[in-house]
Amino acid sequence: MNPSSTQEIIAFSLFAALAVASALATVTLRNPIRNAVGLFVHVLSLAGLYITLAAHFLVAVQLIVYVGAVVVLFVFVIMLLGPGSETAPDTTGRVPRVIGAAGIASVGIVLASTVRTLAPPRPDRVPEFGTLRHVGEYLFGPAMVPFEVASVLLTAGIVGAFAVAKAHHHKVKMNTETNLAPLKSDAVDESQGDHG
Amino acid sequence: MIITLGHYLALSSVLFTIGAAGFLYRRNALVALMSIELMLNAVNLTLVAANRWLPAVQGDAGTVAPPAPAGHVFAFFVIAVAAAEAAVGLAIVLSFYRLRKTVRTDAADMLRG
Repeated sequence: MNPSSTQEIIAFSLFAALAVASALATVTLRNPIRNAVGLFVHVLSLAGLYITLAAHFLVAVQLIVYVGAVVVLFVFVIMLLGPGSETAPDTTGRVPRVIGAAGIASVGIVLASTVRTLAPPRPDRVPEFGTLRHVGEYLFGPAMVPFEVASVLLTAGIVGAFAVAKAHHHKVKMNTETNLAPLKSDAVDESQGDHG
Repeated sequence: MIITLGHYLALSSVLFTIGAAGFLYRRNALVALMSIELMLNAVNLTLVAANRWLPAVQGDAGTVAPPAPAGHVFAFFVIAVAAAEAAVGLAIVLSFYRLRKTVRTDAADMLRG
């Protein structure tokens, strides 16, 4: 087994550190637009990790679908909601939060240290591995049926998203506004105007 | 030093744990959706890494064919499902915000009797 080249080690460490840091930023920061930027950096660093794994086709897909569509969709929704996309801090006590964080962290550490020991020899890369042609031949060969099902799923997703977002919510509102007043804790932003 | 499969799997389990923690901890529906994306991305990383460690196929007459890109294709489908999920999820968040003027997941209690 050949030792990895210095470039490989640097690339992996850089993208791995970036991925962990941006994932933490995505889940911990309070401002949703900062969470979205964290997600943006996260999917970019994962694309970098896919390069180190010779998955060229997936790098392109990751950049187009995640950076080009999903993150932009999140940013659009955050812009549409404005200050309403931010929620008041959690009021749970400190002790349950610390216990929960310790539990989740210990699960993560046990999981990571268990799989960390796996070290099968890495086969040499065949030149066409992971290229558009290689993946495309598999996609339109053995994976043909799931590929077509995925297009049905995406169509259903578009129709569903449109139906949900364009629902007759004025009717719902008329029926429910008597017993479903906005929560007081988050409704303060509207009276204060610009929230930054 | 050698970058092994274990490094990628350990990184991916750390990322999955961060995503799961964010989903369980945060009350903001937008951040919950982003945490789901983090978890799906972590799973994609394991699939792609495992595919890289598949041995090449030795053909007749000494030819070497690359292994089947099943992990890549699976990750591709996961990305497709994640895109559909994000679109529908964000539409639900938008329509929920119109009802309650908040995106707190606690406020989603309209089905409570």
